[in-house]
Amino acid sequence: MRMENISLLLVDDENDFRQTVAKRLIKRGMNVRQASSGQECLDSIAKDPVDVVVLDVKMPGMDGIETLHRIKEMHPEIEVIFVTGHACAQDGVEGIKTGAFDYLCKPIELEHLISKIRQAFDKRIREREKQKEKDFRAKMEQQMIATERLASLGTLAAGVAHEINNPLAIIREAAGWMKSILQKDELASMPRKGDFEKALGKIEAGVERVRRITHQLLGSVKQTDSTISEVNLKELLNETVALHQKEADDKDLKIIQEMGSGSGIIWTDPYKLRQVLINIINNAVHATDSGGRITATIETFDDDVAIRITDTGRGIPREHLEKIFEPFFSTKPPGEGTGLGLFVSRSIMNKLGGEINVESRLGQGTGFCIKLPKHPHVKSDLDKK
Amino acid sequence: MVKIPTKVLLVDDEKDFVEMLSLRLQEAGEKVHTAYSGKECLDTLKKTGIDVIILDIKMPGMDGMETLGEIKKRFPLVEVILLTGHGSTETAVEGMKLGAFDYLMKPADFEELTAKLLGARKRKDEQEERIRLAEAKLLMRKSGGAF
Repeated sequence: MRMENISLLLVDDENDFRQTVAKRLIKRGMNVRQASSGQECLDSIAKDPVDVVVLDVKMPGMDGIETLHRIKEMHPEIEVIFVTGHACAQDGVEGIKTGAFDYLCKPIELEHLISKIRQAFDKRIREREKQKEKDFRAKMEQQMIATERLASLGTLAAGVAHEINNPLAIIREAAGWMKSILQKDELASMPRKGDFEKALGKIEAGVERVRRITHQLLGSVKQTDSTISEVNLKELLNETVALHQKEADDKDLKIIQEMGSGSGIIWTDPYKLRQVLINIINNAVHATDSGGRITATIETFDDDVAIRITDTGRGIPREHLEKIFEPFFSTKPPGEGTGLGLFVSRSIMNKLGGEINVESRLGQGTGFCIKLPKHPHVKSDLDKK
Repeated sequence: MVKIPTKVLLVDDEKDFVEMLSLRLQEAGEKVHTAYSGKECLDTLKKTGIDVIILDIKMPGMDGMETLGEIKKRFPLVEVILLTGHGSTETAVEGMKLGAFDYLMKPADFEELTAKLLGARKRKDEQEERIRLAEAKLLMRKSGGAF
């Protein structure tokens, strides 16, 4: 281990002793600061924390034990080595109880001190790594909880959607039947015929709204008959853009495709991927006012491919950005958007082993980026079963 | 013009749905028979001449795909339109590869359904017409050889 990485604070009221030791430690390459009292030590740490403090127990004013307490209050991660007068092991033990790393008795042997400092520093590095790992694990767990929550929510929603579809079909046929009866000659002069027709129209519109929701929900979770095949992304993107071309032309929007130099061929589920692209381009067309521009690019990397759809539209407010992937979040008026497009897109991307990300600036536009592996991870599929 | 009714067989385990859709189709001038399972569907086919079957994919017991297989084996000229309640087009597409005319997602749009019924009926009529012509030709050749 390299000594220059260690920053050390040497605290002792005996100037000669302190300076001698400091000089010798600096020679060994350590970064050494000095303090002549407990208070000075605390001030120094408050300004800029160190890794290890070597602390004399017997000092006028604030003594070593008190100083140690205060250091640990401010920075529990700093390791403190106690230096006690000769034959004063009692103080050293007291120090360890208070949280010191270890203690040394005067007179100090330099090599001994250096090896203790080194051990204390080692401990700090281990603690730091442990903390990092803990943070990482916590983050991962949080992510997994979120993913699982969405997955089970999706499964539940699809189950409900499926159960709703059958009675919905009955309602639709019943309303349709009544409508066709009303059109018969025998009922041409039926009283309040218009009212009946109006009500039936409302029923049909309502059924249509529910139908759109259930179909999108079902599309999100159906995973048993996923078909992985060789897909030419350029063609797929081209086809999908063509689907929106008319709407874009009507709004005087330009859709620009930049295919990049890669082959654009990957293995994935073309139907699912197309659904994601349709959702994103659809949103882009809706969010961009006339005269705007939508750019679709394909970028090829070593193991994966990124498709970016950028628009010059209205952008997404920051407070909405976190919610746009949640089910039933929509800014469109009721009945126009199901609030499921991006939710479904994200669950599809998860299933395909990819990811979907968004960047947006109000008034400047929004960019969606979907990343897919060139080859799906077959193993994870098997694991699921 | 007087409409020639299509002989439709509606197969679904959801009784209310079958009743409502069949009433609606009858109102639109079709001749509708109903069956509530794959087995019942095949029984009806044995007894009754049918042009087009509207077949639900998801049924308990013998499901739609299995029924489709049997229909195509035993009554290859009868056209089948699949109804899928899943929103899963893949199964439906498989069904079309097995000989189904087309598919519709439940709840289906009635206009779309009648358009597809018409298409299916037309394909059946044309096929039968071709067979008739081919048979006539065969008969001519045979009788031609006899003289």
